[in-house]
Amino acid sequence: MNSLYTYLFLAALLFSLGIFGVFQRRSLIGMLIAIELMLNGASINFMAFNRFLAPDPIVGQIYTLFIMGIAAAEAAIALSIIVAVFRRLRSINIERAQELRG
Amino acid sequence: MIPENFIQSNLQGISFIGPELILTLAILLILLVGVLLPYWRHRILFTILAVAGLAGSVLPLWKLPQPAPDLTYLSNLFVWDWLTFLSKPFFAVVGVLTILLTQVTGEIDNSEYSECTILVLAVTMGMMLLVASTDLLMIYLAFETMGILSYLLVGIRARDERSGEAALKYVLYGAFTSGTMLFGFSLLFGLAGSTDLLAISQKVAFASQHPQDRLLLIVAILFFLAGLLFKTASFPFHFWCPDVYEGAPTPITAFLSVGPKAAGFVLFIRLFYPLFATGHDATIYEAVSGLDWPSILALVSAITMTLGNLAAIHQNNLKRLLAYSSIAHAGYLLMGIVSLSDLGLRSVVFYLVVYLFMNVGAFAVVAMVASAGGSEEIDSYRGLGARAPYVCVAMAIFLFSLIGLPPFAGFVGKVYLFAAVIYKKIYWLAVVAALNTVISLYYYLRIVKAMFLEKPTETIQIQVPLSSRVLLLALLVPTLGLGIYWQPLARVVSGMF
Amino acid sequence: MQPILDGLTLSPWEPGLFSLAIYGLMVLGLVSLLLFFASWLGEKKSNPEKLRPYESGIIPTGSARLRYPVPFFLVAIFFLIFDVEAAYIFSWAISYDSLGWAGWLQISFFIFVLLLGLLYIWKKGGLEWGPTSKQD
Repeated sequence: MNSLYTYLFLAALLFSLGIFGVFQRRSLIGMLIAIELMLNGASINFMAFNRFLAPDPIVGQIYTLFIMGIAAAEAAIALSIIVAVFRRLRSINIERAQELRG
Repeated sequence: MIPENFIQSNLQGISFIGPELILTLAILLILLVGVLLPYWRHRILFTILAVAGLAGSVLPLWKLPQPAPDLTYLSNLFVWDWLTFLSKPFFAVVGVLTILLTQVTGEIDNSEYSECTILVLAVTMGMMLLVASTDLLMIYLAFETMGILSYLLVGIRARDERSGEAALKYVLYGAFTSGTMLFGFSLLFGLAGSTDLLAISQKVAFASQHPQDRLLLIVAILFFLAGLLFKTASFPFHFWCPDVYEGAPTPITAFLSVGPKAAGFVLFIRLFYPLFATGHDATIYEAVSGLDWPSILALVSAITMTLGNLAAIHQNNLKRLLAYSSIAHAGYLLMGIVSLSDLGLRSVVFYLVVYLFMNVGAFAVVAMVASAGGSEEIDSYRGLGARAPYVCVAMAIFLFSLIGLPPFAGFVGKVYLFAAVIYKKIYWLAVVAALNTVISLYYYLRIVKAMFLEKPTETIQIQVPLSSRVLLLALLVPTLGLGIYWQPLARVVSGMF
Repeated sequence: MQPILDGLTLSPWEPGLFSLAIYGLMVLGLVSLLLFFASWLGEKKSNPEKLRPYESGIIPTGSARLRYPVPFFLVAIFFLIFDVEAAYIFSWAISYDSLGWAGWLQISFFIFVLLLGLLYIWKKGGLEWGPTSKQD
């Protein structure tokens, strides 16, 4: 199991699951989780490439650390917006948000 | 991969991010004042602090050495070239105009005003960092600083249903596309073994010759094109734009329509050499990386402008109409990227400067009319020319400039863009763009006709305060001036590439 | 930062990946087989009595879906942010020796900004919890 392609396969799987989830989920929290899956797929890619192809500089690890921070910030802001909208709409179903169209 | 001009000392390098540091201090100061001194929460105080911070952020630029194409600093994370040097004041101007517009229109409540100024400053800081970055890590961090905080800006009037919904759509689409872009970055990192753009550009040139790496390269570029096209509101990722622009407070809409869009195009230019073209020193560029990128981007450009203009025809809400018009302008701007030449890149930068004044101007008029008792619907503009002549003449000038009619700045910008495309013999794109200009004539003139030729439904004079008039004047002067005397700007821009 | 990929070619045949794929296919196949048999062979007759939640013979009242109070979400969001920031402080701490005073100054500024953030949410009433908090 200790080969680059195992990890790349896993990363691609996570990323595609994320994309699938974003399109398929109707609940906002579900979509948010799917987006986090996409970010994690990219993180695994960075770590794997760093470990197998560019082991000397630790730039891939640093990148992953920053992705964690960004993902937390994104989740926090998305959650707070969802809470604010939930107070108005009483629902976290994306299809209820249809005020703006045309 | 260390260039010759690398500034070794990080302490010396810090002086190069002086603008960002000053903005950070201004942000912390406003935060402290807003929290600790609740009786001091006057709008004017925050406005003065924010404008002072933005103005102060430009000052260190004159103390720094002459920009050079390969002068990098802070461990190769940033580059100090002409594009960086000129983009920082550009974004400072965008920030100042936005804050003044929020001050004069009063669309944001007092209770949210200090947060609004903080967020505008922080997004401006993110954009300043983004244009200077030459490292995938820094590009991602700055991109997200700009993106995540602008989601909050859109939803700052959280009690308003439309603002919340716009923020919701923006955050979901934005997070999705930035995740896609990040995956593209990770593939590029795997291909080059480095996050440095210089190393990546060498590796890309190598990989595009080798079939087994070429597929990976194409996938990586497709993935992060998603992020770029999202920020610039171009064809496959444009659908968030009308909803977000309509739902956000109008000053914030003006900010988003020039700030992040311009940052997206500057990032396009930044990634242009490493990923799309070779031939750094000559004027002849060739497309790299296996696929025919210029043709694909030309198609995207043509679809973007046609879609934006056709959809704008049926709109009755002015903010929505201007949102579609800004999609169309993203299509025009892409023409400069497509042409794969110095002339094209120059014309993109030139047009962005012109676009800043005329687009903010148009949104400013919408905000002022709405705050003076009108509405954003086109019906309320009927006969407005008699009720508020100054504002309406200004609006007409901004719209004429957006169309690209001769005495105004938009015309010069468009001529440069068309010239770039025609110079590269991509005639069909020039024809499509010309046809689009004709279509756009229809809906822009519809507003002008409503203002001046139709009978008013009310007769009350609309009172626009003096501060608003002064702000409009500040936007009118460049829109008119650059249309007549554009040579200085053209000379500055042509020194860049 | 040298590119190391130069000699690498993407080989389609890789034992590690292959066995993982076989394993994954087997798991997928087994799970879908079980689910299919369960839905095909099982008899489905639903009526309101059957669909009602079973609570030891007592007929349930009200909805089982209780809404969490909003302060719960707020605290979750604050925790999310401040928790992840600790990762940066840890990564500074393990390379403390090589970073020196410059690193110390930078992390001090970072922690200062974090404290400012804490002060902000405290003054804004984000940490108020319970019946004394302002209702909005």
